[in-house]
Amino acid sequence: MNSNTENKFLTMTASPHIKSPIKTRNIMADVVIALMPALVWAIYVFGFRALTITAISVVSCVAFEYLYRKLMKKSNTISDLSAVVTGILLAYSLPVSTPLWIPIIGSFFAIVIVKQLYGGIGKNIINPALAARVFLFVAYPTELTAFTEPGKYLSPFAVNVSKAASDITAGATPLVDLKNGIIPDADITSTLIGNIPGTIGEVSATILILTGIYLMIRKVITWHIPVTYIATVALITLVLPLGNAGGVSFMLLQLFSGGLMLGAFFMATDYVTSPATSVGRIIYGVGCGLITVFIRYFGGYPEGVSFAILIMNLFVWYLDKATKPKAFGGAKK
Amino acid sequence: MLKTFKGGLHVNDNKNTRNCPIENFPSPAKVAIPMQQHIGAPAQPLVAKGDYVKKGQLIGNFETGLSCPIHASISGTVADIEMRNSYTGYGKTAHIVIENDYTDTPDDNIKTFDGDIFTATSEEIVELVRRAGICGQGGAAFPTYAKIQSAIGKASEIIINCAECEPYITENHRLMLEEPEKIIGGARILMHATYTEHMTIAIENNKMDAVEVMTKNTAEYENISVQVLKTKYPQGDERQLMYVIKGVELPAGKLPADVGCVIFNAETCVSVYNAIYEGMPLISTVLTVDGDAVNTPKNLRAPVGTRISDILDYCGGSTDNLSKIVSGGPMMGQAQWDMNAVVMKNTSAFLFLSDKTQSNDEGDCIHCGRCVGVCPMHLMPNYLAAFSKKDDKVLAEEFGILSCVECGSCTYICPGNVPIVQYIRTTKGAILAEKRKAAQKAKESEAKS
Ligand code: SF4
Ligand code: SF4
Repeated sequence: MNSNTENKFLTMTASPHIKSPIKTRNIMADVVIALMPALVWAIYVFGFRALTITAISVVSCVAFEYLYRKLMKKSNTISDLSAVVTGILLAYSLPVSTPLWIPIIGSFFAIVIVKQLYGGIGKNIINPALAARVFLFVAYPTELTAFTEPGKYLSPFAVNVSKAASDITAGATPLVDLKNGIIPDADITSTLIGNIPGTIGEVSATILILTGIYLMIRKVITWHIPVTYIATVALITLVLPLGNAGGVSFMLLQLFSGGLMLGAFFMATDYVTSPATSVGRIIYGVGCGLITVFIRYFGGYPEGVSFAILIMNLFVWYLDKATKPKAFGGAKK
Repeated sequence: MLKTFKGGLHVNDNKNTRNCPIENFPSPAKVAIPMQQHIGAPAQPLVAKGDYVKKGQLIGNFETGLSCPIHASISGTVADIEMRNSYTGYGKTAHIVIENDYTDTPDDNIKTFDGDIFTATSEEIVELVRRAGICGQGGAAFPTYAKIQSAIGKASEIIINCAECEPYITENHRLMLEEPEKIIGGARILMHATYTEHMTIAIENNKMDAVEVMTKNTAEYENISVQVLKTKYPQGDERQLMYVIKGVELPAGKLPADVGCVIFNAETCVSVYNAIYEGMPLISTVLTVDGDAVNTPKNLRAPVGTRISDILDYCGGSTDNLSKIVSGGPMMGQAQWDMNAVVMKNTSAFLFLSDKTQSNDEGDCIHCGRCVGVCPMHLMPNYLAAFSKKDDKVLAEEFGILSCVECGSCTYICPGNVPIVQYIRTTKGAILAEKRKAAQKAKESEAKS
């Protein structure tokens, strides 16, 4: 027991003197948890190579973050788990046949170039995982556009599978057909479940929606971006379908094949690169939806989610500024 | 649906002392009474070293400006008049140190008001309240007499703030349970003095027992109603209170009276009651002693000038991991640098916190928007902090930094551990200082021409 301690050293800090126990690390941990079911599904559909690629990507993201901060004599930030999230998201946007060295290059790009050169967590302008994915896509187009049929498991440890894969890959996701205005063979149920070709983490729409809802319940993300993003894509593809395909099934396939669910719930909601106000988030979500459909309809690539989000990333500051709430009692403008 | 405001925090209210009756703190051996415990000019000491003073005797005053008289809280001998750093940011302040003679000899001037206070004029009540040294006992310690004056002719609604939204603090709660007639009696005097037509007693819904008591005790008055509020921080902030009760947003830079309201804290009403019916000036205050590093949390009524160390001894001492002492609530209270800090008229709590409750390594903003969601003033605290960091006063002002009430909600919720309020405070201070300077210059050049 201490009493009457005149000279006890007391902490002098400004109010408030209590803080919420939820820290960046807890939030990132929740995102990691929410991303796990999609990985389990990916292993089921594509085999253990999905796990290998994810692991390589995560380990290299964390390693680059650690090494860079160490070399630059900055504080060690890997415990905030944001590099883990980046690693998972990067792997999820690659096809399972990707050569095993590619995620390492992607991680370097994501962590060092996009994130740390701008000052580290919170300072980057565009989403590191998405930027890296687009970079890889441009740098290694052949490797990144080969998609494996579900159920055809590739070797988890073969560095390159392109040779072998040429025998067994379908080469096209439903999105490619949709782009040409035809309804692909894939039926709606297997698309919903995720029994379709695609990148590692994007295929199971159902799982991504459920885990996205988990994040909303945990108050990690708000509804504004995913709902407006998906609704915008749904509305346009229903009202203005491409070619003769048309109809509800065209819309549903647009929603559930490709990277929309992964993008809308897990990438467009990245705090750092999305607006901080509710109204800003709504505009941002609608913008993502519009650009996604535009690219899917008229762009050079079948998929538009990555580009759409990256483009909207650039507007975050302007959206925040334009949607700044009116201060309480403030009419002075 | 209970009425509430937009933004704000749901925090663990930690009202551990809700069932601790108010104990009278035993008269301490020594008190040190600061000459400034209120907004306005400091009082000037009226006694000298060696003088004998009686309990309730006027020992400090400043007649001509906005100020508050100060009275001896015990009887005894003036041992010293020391200049000490004020613990609440008033700078160097004279403290009159009185050694207790344990006789509790009351001052001769202490007498109850003769006759019916409800036939007294406003001026008479203002003078009685002023002479009793009463100031707001909730937050800013604004002299109560001046508040009454500012409300006359403007306010039609009187609000008694019993929200007590800060975690830990239960002193108003206990007062409502134990001395409801004093709160209501004092409030009715203030109502009479301010010519207000209607009174609202505002209580958060984590004190339903108090709501019941207050409702019962005000049943006979048609113009008094009890309003239950949702428990949410900072519900007790005047602006949020008026918004919920009257539906008005107090425009920036205006006073409650400008929108027809005047707001008093519950304990202030008790002090008014004591001044009128017992003749006793404001010389003691009720406070909550709590925190995870104090052995026996309590509610106390302690003489003004009692040292923290005496309070702590009475509450069983601290645990070994004591690392911070806060005067006031955990959201807006001030950390004290040693145990010589004293009880003041507006002290509502002393909190003894362990290092467990601390985590002060500054981190990075991840732009999550949580602070934007909780800010009761509808600002974007993340940007205010960022602009402050870059010393960009222009953008900070454009983003409404001057509207910040420093409630601390943003810093509380921030997962990135950004000391947002601290940044805001610094920049706000700098902007206000610049403005004062500019105004001064303008005045001077006007005077010259
Ligand atoms: S301290 Fe200021 S900026 Fe932060 S929540 Fe309170 S009013 Fe808003
Ligand atoms: S709560 Fe903290 S991390 Fe989130 S936006 Fe505000 S300042 Fe940034």
